[in-house]
Amino acid sequence: MPVRKFRSVEEMSQPIWRQPGDPALYRTMAALWETGTRTSRRRYPPGVHKHRSVAEMHRVQESWAADRK
Amino acid sequence: MDFERLQAVLRALEAHGVRYAIVGAVALNVHGLARFTEDLDIFVEPEQGNIARLRAALASVFDDPEIEDITAADLLGPYPAIQYVPPEGAFHLDIVTRLGEAFAFEDLQTERVPFGDITITVVTPRMLYDMKKNTVRLKDRADAELLRLRFGFEEE
Repeated sequence: MPVRKFRSVEEMSQPIWRQPGDPALYRTMAALWETGTRTSRRRYPPGVHKHRSVAEMHRVQESWAADRK
Repeated sequence: MDFERLQAVLRALEAHGVRYAIVGAVALNVHGLARFTEDLDIFVEPEQGNIARLRAALASVFDDPEIEDITAADLLGPYPAIQYVPPEGAFHLDIVTRLGEAFAFEDLQTERVPFGDITITVVTPRMLYDMKKNTVRLKDRADAELLRLRFGFEEE
């Protein structure tokens, strides 16, 4: 990874936007997701889970995530 | 989420002619901001043939009989939100046919965006902002703020 230089600490934490279709965007996504998956170790129960609303679906997912922490 | 699995699923949706739109964090990624997410959220057209195509697309990627349980009767009826977790791997899919009274498939503003060697359908940044800005989840509101700053949307 190349050295990146910043003029302030605030600048370091700014999100980096790339153009849609930029191969660098896909490389970053792939690397970030690979790292995130390895570190989060979450695994939801396999299968088809049906919900009466998106809010209900999110609540269930959050409870699964909490159970696995 | 497994990036290669995501590519395979999107390629299958396109190959099977599924009418869908990517929403959620993957849409944010596709619009240019790489951030970690655990799932692919798609809005699908609530139509029986389209749900059959969705099943066929998923079955072409995952060898899993459970996929047969993703039905139009549910998605067009009492269960407008279905989560599919394949037997293996770090990927899962949230399938939505309506979002309360606020958003229906026909209301979505979408665009076609290049994604590697395919072109995919994703909601526009403005639509994504509108979907995220008033939700209860903190991470959605944070995404909305990032979109607002990037695309210069007016705060309401």
